[in-house]
Amino acid sequence: MSTLDEVSLLGRVRAETAALVSPTTEHDRERRRILALALPFVALAVFGAVVPLVVMFRISVAEEYLRSVGGFQLDGWVGLCSSILAFVPAVGSAFDANPVYGEVIWNSLWFGAVTTVASVALGIVIAHALEKYDLPGEGLLVTLISFPISLPGIVAAFMMIVWFGKTGLLTNFFVWLAGEASVFPQLTANDVKLTGQPAGTTLAIVGLFLGYLYSMVPRATFLLRGTYAEINTDAEAAARALGATPWQTFRYVTLPQIRPGIVGAVILTFRTALAIFGTVLVLKALSVVTFRFNQVLKVGYDLPTASALAGLFFFFTVGFTFLSLRFTSAEVTG
Amino acid sequence: MSDGAASEAGTEDGTPGAASPDDTDAVPDGGLPAMGGTVPARDPGRLGRVTARLGRPLVVGTVLVTVVFLILPVVATFAASFAHDWTGVLPTFVRDGELFTLTNWKQALGLTETVGAQRGLGGAWRVFGIPIPVTIGFSMGLALGGVFINLLVGIPIAYAVTRYDFYGRGWLNTFAVLPIVPGIILGVAFLKTYSNLPSAVGLMIGYSLLKAPYMVLAVQSSFESMDLRQMEESARSLGASWPRTFFTVVLPNAKTGIVSGAIVCWTLAAAEFNFSYIVYSSGPKPFSLFLFENISNNPFLRASAAISIYFAIVVVVTALLQALGQRGFELGGTR
Repeated sequence: MSTLDEVSLLGRVRAETAALVSPTTEHDRERRRILALALPFVALAVFGAVVPLVVMFRISVAEEYLRSVGGFQLDGWVGLCSSILAFVPAVGSAFDANPVYGEVIWNSLWFGAVTTVASVALGIVIAHALEKYDLPGEGLLVTLISFPISLPGIVAAFMMIVWFGKTGLLTNFFVWLAGEASVFPQLTANDVKLTGQPAGTTLAIVGLFLGYLYSMVPRATFLLRGTYAEINTDAEAAARALGATPWQTFRYVTLPQIRPGIVGAVILTFRTALAIFGTVLVLKALSVVTFRFNQVLKVGYDLPTASALAGLFFFFTVGFTFLSLRFTSAEVTG
Repeated sequence: MSDGAASEAGTEDGTPGAASPDDTDAVPDGGLPAMGGTVPARDPGRLGRVTARLGRPLVVGTVLVTVVFLILPVVATFAASFAHDWTGVLPTFVRDGELFTLTNWKQALGLTETVGAQRGLGGAWRVFGIPIPVTIGFSMGLALGGVFINLLVGIPIAYAVTRYDFYGRGWLNTFAVLPIVPGIILGVAFLKTYSNLPSAVGLMIGYSLLKAPYMVLAVQSSFESMDLRQMEESARSLGASWPRTFFTVVLPNAKTGIVSGAIVCWTLAAAEFNFSYIVYSSGPKPFSLFLFENISNNPFLRASAAISIYFAIVVVVTALLQALGQRGFELGGTR
């Protein structure tokens, strides 16, 4: 029985392949076209992402990894997991491990969540204003708000230094307000020179928070703008005509319509927050997963632990994204 | 906005859902709507009036504060890159009768000798007597390579998922549009797997992978505005082969999407940091690493000049995108 099945299966595979190589029907030709169109992308994804990721997982459980990859051990994963468990409040005392990984993961999660909520809230306000109000120079506003999307995280961090550093715009403004320095030192006797140290307030966590917002608010705004464009404006007009205040209209008419868009924006913005690295590398106010990851690699070159951490991070991001998209059926493409 | 308004709006008259979208939808065509509850009071109450009065200025104010927060440091950085120093409250633009200075730019571009470690752009290539700093020329080339791969990979996949219906289409679309792997993780995986690959090749492949979603989205939006099926069938019925149809009918019509996708991809690839930081090992430096060195090691004004190079690129690119009918980096909302 089984041999027969195998033969028929083999035969079918062979027939399918033959149909793809030299198609006779239009249906087969179309399938060949789809295959040809999808092949470059699949090839790039396999070569550039799938193979490296598999190798990385192999390294995370390998004994020998410097010259050739071989052997099997779970030290990286065991170390990582016990460190995470040691951080968990109630059961942590039972584990004799340094809770550093639990801590950085917790940092990534709470900081990502806080910045995501703030960015999406701001994004809703901005998208609302851009879509509903007839603002003067709207095209210019859109261009300006989209500008930071093109900036890498390190530049976002530098922008925070420009705002809040020891010679930053805001710092200087308050120094001037306090009368400790003059805007025109040539004209007045008071010419206190500020020192040229690059980072002051920016090392505080609030500075990092604003640095995250700098990259995340524009993204959240444009994800939400797509949603706002699809709103049924008749319902809003009707609500207003029936005497609802603008806030009531927003709360009971607009918000239910944009809710799926908000969920989608939250998911994608949270992903962005988790993957931010350059900003933290410059501002260094909080040890998040990406930052710790870099430390493990550049300082100790502890590849199994780094690979295990990367693997965990990868599984979490993919799982989180797909699960949440599944459960909310939110618009992915914005 | 304010919590007070929320609770006030919720409890008022005890008519939750009186203005729900389903009910109000019925208003325009159905005359008197078949609403269940009572109609909310015409008078919105004092708090309602306050929110109605203040809501709009608050929203507009938030937008303005955000725009200032986002753009003022960019302007300040650009301005400061022409300053002599910034030891006072404002940068010093005039010194010894000289308005502005190009010293910072020259140092950042590596066109003049600087004291101490050479942190410029690693010398300059001379093309017809015009000096092109090696790092910039090299990075722009790398990004261009990434875009080239993206064109080969992104356009076909965008066409396949837009035009055809097949098993696994949704998944393929999701993978093409969502950047699945964060750059820093891809970097480590890549480095260890292809350790013999030259940095340049690795960077190019990484750029193309990480920026593919932007290309796919841009091209897809062009394809979606076309009637692909009709276009393809008309061309085929007139005797064109399928490849000929694809290259001479479909692609020229999607030109706008392809060009704007390529521009966005190129700009983002030129400044890609996370992947480059991990993968780069030898050879000319990628531009983003040059920016990082400037930010972390150099005097403020020289760092400003280095970053302003990128700002200048983005401004030019934005102008190009606007000429194509796009408003800047709107596509970038997806990531």
